[in-house]
Amino acid sequence: MENADDVALSDEEPITAQKVLQTLQEVWLNEKFSPELLQHQSDLVDCILDQMQQMEENLQKLKKNDFRVVIHRMELDRIRYIVTDYLRIRLNKIETYVIHVLEQDVSRSTEDAFLSPPELKFAKEFLAHMEDHFRLIALRHMPSNVQDFDKAKMVVIPNISSHVFLRAKQSITGVVIEGDVENREEEVDLEENSQHIMQYKPIADYLKTGAVQLI
Amino acid sequence: MDPAEVEFLAENQMVSIVPNFNFERIYLISGDVGPFRAGLPVQVPIWMATNLRQRQKCRIIAPDWMNTEKLEQVKEEESQSRFFTKMPSEHYMVEGHLLLGAASEDIPHADEIRTILKDIWDMRMSKLRSSVDAFIKIGGTHAKLDHLTAMEINSIRPLLPHALDELYKLQKIVRIISI
Repeated sequence: MENADDVALSDEEPITAQKVLQTLQEVWLNEKFSPELLQHQSDLVDCILDQMQQMEENLQKLKKNDFRVVIHRMELDRIRYIVTDYLRIRLNKIETYVIHVLEQDVSRSTEDAFLSPPELKFAKEFLAHMEDHFRLIALRHMPSNVQDFDKAKMVVIPNISSHVFLRAKQSITGVVIEGDVENREEEVDLEENSQHIMQYKPIADYLKTGAVQLI
Repeated sequence: MDPAEVEFLAENQMVSIVPNFNFERIYLISGDVGPFRAGLPVQVPIWMATNLRQRQKCRIIAPDWMNTEKLEQVKEEESQSRFFTKMPSEHYMVEGHLLLGAASEDIPHADEIRTILKDIWDMRMSKLRSSVDAFIKIGGTHAKLDHLTAMEINSIRPLLPHALDELYKLQKIVRIISI
């Protein structure tokens, strides 16, 4: 009995799962600190959810008082926190910038879309409900010339000039920082593993290629 | 970020424990731990170490740097330097807090260590406050933050980026007006 469980548990391919978890943690922190919505990582999330599901099933087979159960449960709870917090942050951003993110994704192909299919559905429904709500509560009572629901006037755009903390995961040369008080442009080099505070805009592309990590 | 989340991240750091039980290797999603042999040190994540300690299943071994001698030296260097010196651990304050909180009997001179850690923290926080002040005064837009630990960065997060955002907005307006 004990041995059979061990075989099942060791089937998890710990090295790969470990790597996936580590990447997910980085992705989570990036999403948490970046002002704009980043590209969805459904593959990562699905992979981790699979791992968790498998672990849950394996735990069912163990006796309640098995020493491992408590430890595995604790770990599952920790991972679950990362996943849910990650998805929650994304939903928050989608709600805030709904018009903007939908517009942006229209111009992207399905593979490059920033919203995952369920998120896209959520965003569309959210916007539709918002419109319905405004119509029902206020717009229909307005004079006819101001009854339009004008999306363009309601767009909220993320502030990509906001400042963020980051760590360079590889060295990057020539990051151009917009003018200071005297309107001088400044060019800085980021050494590997150095930490900085600066505007999000100049490093946004490096974040997408994985050269920097927000902290 | 909530300080509890910084703590959450720090709990992934590894620490040595001496278990008082025997058990085979445990295959966690985040990597394998064990096997556990009573009396033999083994490396586990801090979250696991504190849990096992609470259940009286192990003794925690203080990390290399967590002794009065080493920390006095770190403190001395920090006080001599105008800049931030490199800390022995990316999460020195949280690790100190967690390990001393869960197992102060396991770590020699726990109270002294606690005091020195607090001194180092206070010294660095006051340095941080004066450098933030100087940075804002010269109207900087970019700063290098080497050797600052996660909790220290997090402590200025509510204030510094926000202040810089507001200054940037004001500068933009000034520029528009002056054109």
